[in-house]
Amino acid sequence: MNWYKNKGNEGDIVLSTRVRLARNLTEYPFPIRLDEAQRRDIGNTVKEILDTDKTLKLNFIDMSSLSSAETVSLAEKHLISPEFACDTLGRSLLLSDDEDISIMICEEDHIRIQTVYPGLSLEEAFETALKIDEILENKLSYAFDENLGYLTQCPTNIGTALRASVMLHLPALNKKGAMQRLSTTVAKLGLTLRGSYGEGSEVSGDIYQLSNQVTLGISEEAAIKNLNSIAMQIIAQEKQARALLIKDEDYLDRIYRAYGILKSAYKLTSKELINLISYVRVGVSEGILDIPAEKLRELTVLLQPATLNAHSGKILTQTERDILRSQKVREELA
Amino acid sequence: MLCQNCKANEANTHIKRVINGEATQKHLCSSCAQSLGYDNFFSDFTFNLPSLFSSFFDDRNLLLGETRADRCEICGCSFEDIIKSGNVGCSNCYKKFYSKLQPSIQRIHGKVKHSGKVPPKTAEPVVIKEKTAEEKIEDLQKEMAKAIETQNFERAAAIRDEIKQLKGEN
Ligand SMILES: [Zn+2]
Ligand SMILES: [Zn+2]
Repeated sequence: MNWYKNKGNEGDIVLSTRVRLARNLTEYPFPIRLDEAQRRDIGNTVKEILDTDKTLKLNFIDMSSLSSAETVSLAEKHLISPEFACDTLGRSLLLSDDEDISIMICEEDHIRIQTVYPGLSLEEAFETALKIDEILENKLSYAFDENLGYLTQCPTNIGTALRASVMLHLPALNKKGAMQRLSTTVAKLGLTLRGSYGEGSEVSGDIYQLSNQVTLGISEEAAIKNLNSIAMQIIAQEKQARALLIKDEDYLDRIYRAYGILKSAYKLTSKELINLISYVRVGVSEGILDIPAEKLRELTVLLQPATLNAHSGKILTQTERDILRSQKVREELA
Repeated sequence: MLCQNCKANEANTHIKRVINGEATQKHLCSSCAQSLGYDNFFSDFTFNLPSLFSSFFDDRNLLLGETRADRCEICGCSFEDIIKSGNVGCSNCYKKFYSKLQPSIQRIHGKVKHSGKVPPKTAEPVVIKEKTAEEKIEDLQKEMAKAIETQNFERAAAIRDEIKQLKGEN
């Protein structure tokens, strides 16, 4: 299920759930020490194995065959990492039509199985990643050590090599000034809560990512369960805070004004869009505005700069993009 | 490479992010990275935090007495390479430098013993073999056709050169 076209569980607050398993092969040094041909060989091998499973239907993408707008667009949609977008030589990607499975070959590890689901969906996302891992592990010899678990290029990932995260929209908790305290609390529980930063140090669009930090000495199931229960608690707190927030008339005014600008602006930068949608999303979840939550999500994802370029098939200027972006927003909200 | 910010220290923190439609890289030393707010593991919402691994080695004494012989026999990586890059060279490095890596692993994870999924021992690994020159040329020709189709002529030219080179070797 595509993460930005569907609402998912708790979709007013949780934008997406991602799970990543990192795997390496014993026969090769880690990716920083591989040449282009070796990277290609690993990609082809993984492709051949996964092609034998008829239910998966993954598209094999040679990263160097994409234009730079297409590459960066994949990163904007969180299907690949910026690191993967920076160097495409010999690298490949296996991507499902729904964009819920994306397997990066020779990113920081030989194989990075990633699943992305809409809303809060940790167990499902983990199960899907596990299913792919099980197909591969029967044909490949993974770098594994009894004490250290799955071996990875960076020692911060060894053990289960599982990183799970939920992307949360927390405008009310942020407005309350609760984020600092919250991230200190979750850090004690082996998790991290971090803001999405644009260019500077301010958090853009009140979007945060909660993920597990520790990967050694904790089982996959325990890590997922732990993350899920903390996420549920944060969601409950955000709901409470939102209910209070809309009693504030100044905030209500901001919601309506944001909606007004989105419906009538002639130009919109992507930063502006994210910030305005943050208000509108609260209006939607609190029953003030009637717009499907997934429509807002889709707009923030598909109207990002490189994604707009990739869709229009040419490199637009910033002004052209800002005009096009506002046009699409007006169309969608009409 | 020197840090882009202070231009004095060695850059060991490489930050890759997507800003305004471009994939950009910044090369910083760890102190500049921290003061500029880049010590944020998940700031770009990816799962990478390699460059910061080196900051877990506060015990520089580990490097003393290291000789050239202290290199991984498989990948040639030294312990110093690991600290500098924050990356381990290959799976054998974990065996080779286990005692040196262990303290920082414990500091990161709090534990040193894996508990979780174990891959099946019965796995029959496919032997990944080098492709023959003919197979490689065939792959490249397909890719070149694709590049031309998408009007990526620069890429197509690069592939053409690669094919030429492969044919020359035969
Ligand atoms: Zn510096
Ligand atoms: Zn090695």
